[in-house]
Amino acid sequence: MTYSRQEIDAIVIDSFEELTYKNKCILLNCFKTPFANLDKNTPTLIKSLSEGVYNKVKGKFSDDAYRKKVLSSLEAKNVTCITFYSENYPEDLKQILNSPIVLYCKGNLTLLKSRCFAIVGSRRTQPNILRECSKISGELSDKFTIVTGMADGADSAAIEGAIHSGKIISVLAYGFDYAYPAVSEKLIQKVEKSGLLISEYPPEIPPRSYQFPVRNRIIAGLADAVLVVSAGKKSGALITANYAEEFGKQVMAFPYSMGVTYGEGCNFLIKKGANLVENPLDIFEAFGLDYKPTEEKMELNSDEQIALAAIREAGEAFAPEIAEKLNKLPHQIIPVLSSLEIKGLIIRLGGNRYAAL
Amino acid sequence: MRSLKGVYFALSARLALEIRSVLLRTIRTKIIKIYLLRVYGSFCHKSKQDEELGRRRIEYTARTNDKVLQKPCKLGSPKLKENNMLSKISSFALNGLEGVAVQIETDINKGMVSYDLVGLPDAAVKESKERVRSAIKNSVLNFPVNKITINLAPADIKKEGSHYDLPIAVSILKASDQLEADTDDTVFLGELALDGGLRPVTGIMPILISAKAKGCTRFIVPKDNANEASYLEGTEVYALSSLRDTVEFLKGERAFKPVEHRDFVATQKENNYNYDMSLVRGQKTAKRALEIAVAGGHNILLAGPPGTGKTLLARCIPTIMPDMTFDEALEVTKIHSVAGELNEEGIVSLRPFRTPHHTATTVSLCGGGNNKIHPGEISKAHKGVLFLDELPEYTRNALESLRQPLEDKIITVTRAGGAVTFPADFILCASMNPCPCGNYGSAHLTCTCTPAQIHKYRSKISGPLLDRIDLQVEVDGVKYEDLSGEGSEEPSANVKARVEKARAIQRERFSEENIAVNSNMGERQIKKYCKLSKECEQILRTAFETLHLSARARTRIIKVARTIADLDFSEEIKPEHILEATSYRSYDTSKL
Repeated sequence: MTYSRQEIDAIVIDSFEELTYKNKCILLNCFKTPFANLDKNTPTLIKSLSEGVYNKVKGKFSDDAYRKKVLSSLEAKNVTCITFYSENYPEDLKQILNSPIVLYCKGNLTLLKSRCFAIVGSRRTQPNILRECSKISGELSDKFTIVTGMADGADSAAIEGAIHSGKIISVLAYGFDYAYPAVSEKLIQKVEKSGLLISEYPPEIPPRSYQFPVRNRIIAGLADAVLVVSAGKKSGALITANYAEEFGKQVMAFPYSMGVTYGEGCNFLIKKGANLVENPLDIFEAFGLDYKPTEEKMELNSDEQIALAAIREAGEAFAPEIAEKLNKLPHQIIPVLSSLEIKGLIIRLGGNRYAAL
Repeated sequence: MRSLKGVYFALSARLALEIRSVLLRTIRTKIIKIYLLRVYGSFCHKSKQDEELGRRRIEYTARTNDKVLQKPCKLGSPKLKENNMLSKISSFALNGLEGVAVQIETDINKGMVSYDLVGLPDAAVKESKERVRSAIKNSVLNFPVNKITINLAPADIKKEGSHYDLPIAVSILKASDQLEADTDDTVFLGELALDGGLRPVTGIMPILISAKAKGCTRFIVPKDNANEASYLEGTEVYALSSLRDTVEFLKGERAFKPVEHRDFVATQKENNYNYDMSLVRGQKTAKRALEIAVAGGHNILLAGPPGTGKTLLARCIPTIMPDMTFDEALEVTKIHSVAGELNEEGIVSLRPFRTPHHTATTVSLCGGGNNKIHPGEISKAHKGVLFLDELPEYTRNALESLRQPLEDKIITVTRAGGAVTFPADFILCASMNPCPCGNYGSAHLTCTCTPAQIHKYRSKISGPLLDRIDLQVEVDGVKYEDLSGEGSEEPSANVKARVEKARAIQRERFSEENIAVNSNMGERQIKKYCKLSKECEQILRTAFETLHLSARARTRIIKVARTIADLDFSEEIKPEHILEATSYRSYDTSKL
């Protein structure tokens, strides 16, 4: 990968850990017209940086060995950089406030040019919602590229739904040298292989809690619309939704019944005017797209049908309750439920509760 | 004249004592000192000793209020016959659960006063000297003031424990001619108290069983061990309360009746478990899982929020297990006897339920010890239930050490001193919370854990261990209506009846194999006895795809399905059996 002089400048400036985003921007503007504005801005920079750091950064910036080292280490890690000045920098991201200076990418770069749709949600999401989330993600990936994070819970479910199509962008809040949470390492590799990984942080930056909400602006910025599948009162998904609103993107959310903690955020969004989404059709309609639901006909025996109807009616039900409806002994219902579970029609929520899908 | 004579004798005796004391003070050589004492003892010291013994005898008689004590023992220092200074007494040593015959040989020689105990005695055996000396003295007998050598043969096995006191004492008495009786075919076991009483010892049952196998049938044991010794048929056990009794019994001065044989079944019927399935309200799914677990001898994991009755459910497991047979009870009693945990009954008639705390060390679970190797909790749970509450809290080492015994049903504890094999055939019942906060899956409470936290919590239990737990069941939160409801719950007896029927089917099926229950099936036996129809295979295949089951889950599901089919009296495994079995694998899927 060859970079222009301006791109290299941006990459090198971005590699200074001691600089804040704001400082980086000032420096970049200075370097646009080489060193002309630098002296003018020096007092401001020194004020926020201290003289020692300023001199160090200045020295390193013009040090050819350092510049080469930064580029070669990125290349060694198989990371492609897209800077603010690059041609293929997504137009959508240029529109947002505080656009990332450099996007570090791994994977299929062409996805950045496609139409994107963000699916975000809480880590603490119920299994049945997760299943629904990955189903919707799968169906949306026909028309959109799915953008999401890398947390477990909703993010992982969205990735899993779309990973077959390869149309998945996962925005990390830390450098590529790390994997957080540790369990998602395999998932990261999968996305790298068939989709695209993006981070605004150089590879050696570890996960820090404040980077996650900042990262959310990229998710919101990239996508045409954001679907919040689950969110508590203080969920990160709400931050993404806020950004989306700010950037003038469409916000959608799953509805929840009263008193469900991990759904309060979603209901709050709907109250504020977010689109209520129950199935893929709602989303496709909002975009004026055609949608043909793929109905799978399952052969169910009478017991299974009654049990399924009972669960659908109650939303979620305990095994003994379902047994009562079928006039069976509790252990006789287990095979029926198991069969429905295997067929993918219901899901176990834990504690012998079942919910329909 | 007479008074003069008296004065003369008194004076001469007085003079002799004076001379002796002067000599003792001046002569420094020990040998001459002792010789002097001997010489003087013959004409002045002895009379005092006699007086002393006589006084003690009267005191003893008064103390014991024993009317039978007619003939006093021969008083005075025993006169040793030249040709009869050696005695042999039989006893037994314990090596793990096996009794090894030990001969106690005592040789009393004239010579320097000493007491030597040889034959690899441990501290408790070495200390027996003081107990034996006092016990003999306080039983109105004489502890010989000679050179005493005691050998515990064979000399190459370590002798541990306090049960050699009685045989050593009897052996000394015999060697010193204070006891003339035939003791060749009698085995002596017992610890002595300083007053000559017999204290109970551990390991009576395994010794009796081994001794009986070796042809010994006559035993003398402490009275408190009578119950333990009463269940073995074909033995003649005398449970005596003191060394004095033993001597009189052996001499034939007093008659004692051998311990009456007790019937195991009668004892078993008297005992009942404190828990019953009917006490557990609701929890239908978990109860069903327990029934399957016990029927097929499967290990079981109960996962559920705190306070849902996991422990109560676990405590009910022994109540639905088939009654122990006499042989099983003997095996279990042997272990508990060696561990010194036997109850007053003297036999373990109820299935053991062991609950080691999660701070338990590997050694306490598996067995071990410095000199004597003690059975661990898993052996004490033999033929019963080992309940590990809060499974993830146990140290990883402790949990991993369970893997081999779970597979082999025995544990071989190896130490520098040797290796001992203990049986460890138990049902493992473990319980855990579904997540660190405990509320995951709860219908009303919110779980505050992230999936990563839950994953970390669950991954504390290693895959290979989970592999050996066939049934993994979620216990649901109980509703108030269930707790307060009037509806009657099924008592343990009914469940037990079904379990026994299922076990009978398995016994018949495995009559040619060396296994008893479905859980013990290996790959070969699964192929032979668990043929799956095409429909069942199809279900399994779909289940694997949709539920993300691991490859190891297959074997477990098939084994459990076999047991469910047995409970259903079905020759072949039907689809519903496979389906039910797949539902007991909730912790297998790593996905949350």
